Amino acid sequence: MSSDSQETETETQTGTESGAGATVELADGVEHQVAMVMDLNKCIGCQTCTVACKTLWTEGGGREYMYWNNVETKPGRGYPRDWEEKGGGFESAEQANQEDVHGEREVGELPSAEDWGRPWEFNHEDVMYDGSDESLRPQGPEPEWGPNWDEDQGAGEFPNSYYFYLPRICNHCTHPSCAEACPRKALYKREEDGIVLVDQERCRGYRYCVEGCPYNKVHFNVLSKKSEKCIFCYPRKEAEGPDDEVRPPACATECPPQLRLVGFLDDEDGPIYKLVEEWEVALRLHPEFHTEPNVYYVPPFAPPQHDDEGETVGVERIPRTYLEELFGEQVHEALDTIERERERVERGGESELMELLTTTDMAEQYRLEAFE
Amino acid sequence: MTDDGPSTRTVLLALAVVTVAAVAPTLVAARPANEIPVEEDPPDAEALAEPAGDAWGRVPAADVALASAESSVPNAEDTSVEAVTVRAAQTDGSLFVRLSWDDATADAFTPGAENRTPDVTTFWDAAAIQLPANTSAHPGIAMGSDRTMVNVWYWSAPNTSQELLAGGPGTTTPVGDPAVQTSASYEDGTWHVVFERTLQVDDAGENRTTIEGERDVDVALAVWNGSNAERSGQKAVSEWQYFPLGPGAEGPPYATILWIVAGLAIAVVIVATVLGVQRT
Repeated sequence: MSSDSQETETETQTGTESGAGATVELADGVEHQVAMVMDLNKCIGCQTCTVACKTLWTEGGGREYMYWNNVETKPGRGYPRDWEEKGGGFESAEQANQEDVHGEREVGELPSAEDWGRPWEFNHEDVMYDGSDESLRPQGPEPEWGPNWDEDQGAGEFPNSYYFYLPRICNHCTHPSCAEACPRKALYKREEDGIVLVDQERCRGYRYCVEGCPYNKVHFNVLSKKSEKCIFCYPRKEAEGPDDEVRPPACATECPPQLRLVGFLDDEDGPIYKLVEEWEVALRLHPEFHTEPNVYYVPPFAPPQHDDEGETVGVERIPRTYLEELFGEQVHEALDTIERERERVERGGESELMELLTTTDMAEQYRLEAFE
Repeated sequence: MTDDGPSTRTVLLALAVVTVAAVAPTLVAARPANEIPVEEDPPDAEALAEPAGDAWGRVPAADVALASAESSVPNAEDTSVEAVTVRAAQTDGSLFVRLSWDDATADAFTPGAENRTPDVTTFWDAAAIQLPANTSAHPGIAMGSDRTMVNVWYWSAPNTSQELLAGGPGTTTPVGDPAVQTSASYEDGTWHVVFERTLQVDDAGENRTTIEGERDVDVALAVWNGSNAERSGQKAVSEWQYFPLGPGAEGPPYATILWIVAGLAIAVVIVATVLGVQRT
């Protein structure tokens, strides 16, 4: 991304900064926008979110390979493999010489079955029930790639290697390029909450959405021949369970370290609005794709680098340049803000930001009934 | 050569030329451009549903050129099938249309035709026949419009067939209770796909094309090559053709008149030229 377009991005975001009565910009025709903040400092890579999502939505029927929620190691090639290099999204308005929020749509590349990773069949029956001495392992051709193939690999050299985990779901973007890519308008943003869904009646399996999403968060079901994706657990949001309770997405509620905040971006009393719009410490992943995600990340800290003697040296372990690649230039200010507020608390002071990031109050963390 | 006027031999020659010029064209099986002939009650009609059956060998063929459709989808100009051979036959109960085209790879679930395991990047070969929902209307070639809808008979290689209604690109919607059946075969690099539509349908003229011999029926064709990732608007399509199903199914009556007039004109020119040469 050029520094010019980054400046404009920053201006746009500061332009919506909270002031007296300032409001966030939502997609046309959307009343409220669901949003999620994930604090990457809390993620332990346990994949409980992944399994919660999988058991709810993608266990079978052509969905075996799908992880609507995945957790990948960064630096790493991700899921699907090398998704960050497959294109999609939009040019910047500057690139297209337009006075708009973004430029022309960029056509991406369709990931292969190998990029996603084939669902492995294991010899559970033999090992668990039939007394086989074989080890439990994937059957068929020797796998050469799969989700989390490069788990914990990271980058850097001992003693200063580094990695962190990046949980990913559909970003339910304000400008979803998946929806724009569909010639049948089978993908749409719900008016009431901005959740992006695939109309299974309209979908004819063309997969322009799959290659159009720069985050590769739309999947193709070979059996139904239709596209499918994260639905932000909307039936849980709509209290369709047996207890009639409104529940946040399963990936959020099942998370052991409770790293996710769920609510509406335009709920000005909620923590998401405060972290995104006021404190500006929750950032979009790859803002240069110009789809304006509504999943935000608190960037990760790591202990500083060590020298050969094991002594701490004043160099950050996760290079800022790498974090800037992921979260844009705003990451510097966000990390500085968090550091400043953390030191304030360490000195015995109070910090609203630290309160927001460390709350254990579920009612604060999950605010899906703010507008009811 | 004398100045006595035309000799008897010359007159006879002129008469012969006039006769041949007037009659010969009507004896040739001339077919108007864009017509796809429809054979009525061919022998072995019960075997028409077999895509590679012998019954089709006795049905006249029309070769129709295809070109990339105009569309806003990516790579719309990248299509690979350049022509389709169309044969059509009508029985008491049904109209059969067989499309045949060359495709080196069968992208299909069809038993015996798989060339690879379908996965997330597999696109299937497909074909479609487009007709005006209302045969008196003239829809745009690109799926018609909301005022001039088209009825589409669609086949794709997982061996599915659909009857669709469309009113412009991106609007195809399945019609309930389809009146179209398909069967397909792939042999030696060639697809044969037979579409069978029952002549009598409940809602003809609204969502479904009327095929009852009242008028000619416009028709356009489309083919998708799955291994070239062709789908949606990335397809090879024809111009509008027509089935001569209206009165005078032998061809429009004016064709014979035009041939006679043209033949006579040619003959007159020849005779005048001969006479002129003799006089000089």
